[in-house]
Amino acid sequence: MIDRRKFLTTVALGTASAAVLAACGAPAPAQTGSAENPVTINYTWWGNDDRAERTRKAIALFEEKNKDIKVNGNFTDFAGYWQKRATEAAGGGLPDVMQFDLSYMRDYGQRNQLLDLGTVKINTDAFDKSLLPSGQIRGKTYGIPTSTNAFAVYYDPAKLASLGIAEPDGTWNYDEFNKFLAEVGAKGNGALFGGTDYTGVWWMFNVWLRQNNIEAFTEDGKLGFTKDDLKKWWNLTADLRGTPALVSEERVTQLAPKSPFGSNVTGTEVTWDNFMAGYLADSGAKELKLVPVPSDDKDNLGLFLKPSMLMAASAKTKNKDAAARFIDFMVNDPEVGQIFKTSRGVPASKTQRDGTTFEGTDKLVVDYEKSIEKYLKDAPEPPIVGFGTLEASFKRVASDMNYGKLTVDGAADAWFKEAEDLIKQNA
Amino acid sequence: MTQSPTLSRRSTPSAPPLPRKSRQRGADARAGYTFLLPWLLGFIALTVGPMISSLYLSFTNYNLFDPPKWIGLDNYTAMFQDERFLQSVGVTVGYVVFGTPLKLAAALAVAMLLNSARKGQGFYRSAFYAPSLIGASVSIAIVWKAMFGDSGPVDQGLSFFGINLGGWVGNPSMTMPMFILLTVWQFGAPMVIFLAGLKQIPADLYEAASMDGAGPVRKFFNITWPMLSPVVFFNLLMETIHAFQIFSSAYIISNGEGGPAGSTLFYTLYLYLRGFSDFRMGYASAMAWLLLIVVGLITLVIFRTSKSWVHYSGDAK
Repeated sequence: MIDRRKFLTTVALGTASAAVLAACGAPAPAQTGSAENPVTINYTWWGNDDRAERTRKAIALFEEKNKDIKVNGNFTDFAGYWQKRATEAAGGGLPDVMQFDLSYMRDYGQRNQLLDLGTVKINTDAFDKSLLPSGQIRGKTYGIPTSTNAFAVYYDPAKLASLGIAEPDGTWNYDEFNKFLAEVGAKGNGALFGGTDYTGVWWMFNVWLRQNNIEAFTEDGKLGFTKDDLKKWWNLTADLRGTPALVSEERVTQLAPKSPFGSNVTGTEVTWDNFMAGYLADSGAKELKLVPVPSDDKDNLGLFLKPSMLMAASAKTKNKDAAARFIDFMVNDPEVGQIFKTSRGVPASKTQRDGTTFEGTDKLVVDYEKSIEKYLKDAPEPPIVGFGTLEASFKRVASDMNYGKLTVDGAADAWFKEAEDLIKQNA
Repeated sequence: MTQSPTLSRRSTPSAPPLPRKSRQRGADARAGYTFLLPWLLGFIALTVGPMISSLYLSFTNYNLFDPPKWIGLDNYTAMFQDERFLQSVGVTVGYVVFGTPLKLAAALAVAMLLNSARKGQGFYRSAFYAPSLIGASVSIAIVWKAMFGDSGPVDQGLSFFGINLGGWVGNPSMTMPMFILLTVWQFGAPMVIFLAGLKQIPADLYEAASMDGAGPVRKFFNITWPMLSPVVFFNLLMETIHAFQIFSSAYIISNGEGGPAGSTLFYTLYLYLRGFSDFRMGYASAMAWLLLIVVGLITLVIFRTSKSWVHYSGDAK
């Protein structure tokens, strides 16, 4: 139950203590600090304990090199993260520096909540020029990518070997990939399913659209694909649903927030390549491998490097200079790369990438991104306002379809209705 | 009555009694309001204020970022074309209609068991009350999720008897029974009130009934139920209102998504998602006000019907 009084009391107390803290903290014209009198900036990110530990190390290193700045760190999980930012933005109190996601770039950037990083000093010389537009909206830079990730098919070689299935080489079309899933499911005999329904993942749909030379969104913020495109996509796995090729939606829900692949329930998974470390930890597998996603066009895999996360600053920050120096440090410093390895994705800045030694599984991820280099297209621009909602409803509608509550046509109708309503709402 | 010396010294006999009394009342009232002030300020600032602003926002397209723009009744009319909204109404109504009577029945049954004089009754009363103290907590929702999950204790227990339902958490048709069990299990608060009501029923009524040869069923329907009806009425009212507000357990068990297949998309959960995930605070405010109005109406209806089945002592019947 939402206890309104308790909720509001907490908000009130929080605001009051923030005001008090702000009063005792930085002196009023807080543009510059000194070693004796450092300025304090707030930094918030999403992640788990592992990332918290790495971030703590990175902050300590930054403070050591910049005695005039103190960084006050804070983190939550991904879902709670955006709910918190929304309330802070409404109250005008976003943290100075934030870890950001492409999905929410427009919601905040276009609504003047973020600092134009083009107006402060951040070195982007070492960045691939095709990547930077993903943090830019209408000529302004609201986010600097820390690292990149790309779509891939994961599999566990040991599990395939025990079923007597040859390892895939990643040159497959959808038909072949589906057959592969069916084979794993059939030989898995109830203990191992082929995979999860990959058509339920928005970004894989985006990859498929690009394989068909369609952009998901138009320049003016409308949908770039038709309902028929979506039906075609969801029909790709229609014959597999309800068979051992795909794990049932019941199991997926039961296992959440862990993934079926991380829980050793499926033989493959189609997702971002920087999930490697998490899957290894969850599944306890000795080794996991990555191959490219299927495509019906051998020369166009539709793949792109997406910023796995970006660094952004609040438009209202009083310490622009300190915020900029911290962002610059987090994206460019080789020692930061050494701390995070590929847990944020492959470092986007060449300085940072070259300064990091990748071994073991980290090397697998870096090698995968190198191997697909020749297929890569430009990173997508930040999607439309409200994209976070659309992405979530894509997953939800596909899940309802897998529960058998909706047909493919019904699901496409339902999603289009929500999407059109949202686009109209935000127009 | 003897007056205190201080008071008699201060008040002269010639003074008319009325103003003195009202002066005193004025002082009492001032003291009363002074003591009330902290709560009153909190009530105005933290309840009335936000309620008024949410009423205003419910007529706007407020999205947390841009200044709200007046859109009249659009939010209210849009709701009835929103399939997710209708789904959330269905889920919530099902929960209230099935969960509340079951919970009250459980509370009454246990209260009657605990009413008799028996050794260690105090212990049993505390033990049965305990779940409702912790029932609404986050940890219980997590425990519940684990208990009803795949190969959780419930699944294993049922399998032992040959019932293979699998995990309840991932099965859209089993999530509602799971939530109803969770609320029924927290019967402590209505149980205590029932128990107090049962203690008020004079024992000689039962004695007389026994003399006339009435069995336990007869006694229940002819003595216990009518005598207890005001308490039943109170509990029904409170538990119905309470049931409409279910949130935290649904949020935790469904990972804040209302799944599987929308089967746990309770009204308040959808309201929260609309406001804080979709940034449609105006719409969420409208939902909140609609809920308030509907709960108010239902309360009114329960009050109206109460005349025909609630008996107060001293009534003609």
